[in-house]
Amino acid sequence: MEFLRDKRRAQRFYRHLSKIYDTWIRDLFWNERMRAYGLEMAGLHAGMEVLDVGCGTGFLSEGILEVTPSVWGLDITPEQLQRARRKLSIPLVRGDAENLPFHAERFDAVLSSGSIEYWPDPVQALREMRRVLRPGGVAMVGGPTRPRDRLYRLLADNMMLFYDEAEALEMFDQAGFRDVRVGYTGPAWKPDLAIVTRGVKA
Amino acid sequence: MDILCCPVCKGNLELVVAREEDEILEGGLICHHCDFTYEIEDGIPNLLPPELR
Repeated sequence: MEFLRDKRRAQRFYRHLSKIYDTWIRDLFWNERMRAYGLEMAGLHAGMEVLDVGCGTGFLSEGILEVTPSVWGLDITPEQLQRARRKLSIPLVRGDAENLPFHAERFDAVLSSGSIEYWPDPVQALREMRRVLRPGGVAMVGGPTRPRDRLYRLLADNMMLFYDEAEALEMFDQAGFRDVRVGYTGPAWKPDLAIVTRGVKA
Repeated sequence: MDILCCPVCKGNLELVVAREEDEILEGGLICHHCDFTYEIEDGIPNLLPPELR
């Protein structure tokens, strides 16, 4: 098991990171242009009810709110949630991506950015996202691309989940999604840093 | 709140409010099937499964 793909360890990591997260950490890895790319892939429109899995301090939720007013945020780290609560007036829940505390078929879209890399069982989390989606609903997940450089790949693979297009397609397929598509986005220093995958609940 | 369910059995939850100011600040969400109360603290329900606490 990679170092940060342990739920307690990931929480401790973010508890400390929470203090500086919004000022520079987040912007380095997931900026507004990347967020816009993810939202575009999800095809959001006004009136949709949306869930943000691993909402952190609420950066993705803020972007969702520009399109539709109904957003729920879920995160495992209380410090991140309290920061989100101070910024946004959306309902927030502390919970686990692999055990979503929502009834089946309640959302039109389930989105997640910068969270999948910490999930010990990503297919289980994707199955949960699919469960809470209404038929025809869309899931969009942004995560880190697996580095091509051998040394970086070794470092990355020992820390958390980094995945390539084939792995993304396989995870979404195993979770039961249809019409799965993959795209890439990133900051100026690495334009393919993030892999964005979207799938539809048939 | 009726969108929420028990993260373990996915059953309905009963809401108990202890303190309220515009929103529910303190309280609990009870799963009678699992015999477990998920607490609400500072306006945020903690719906982590019991085994992850």
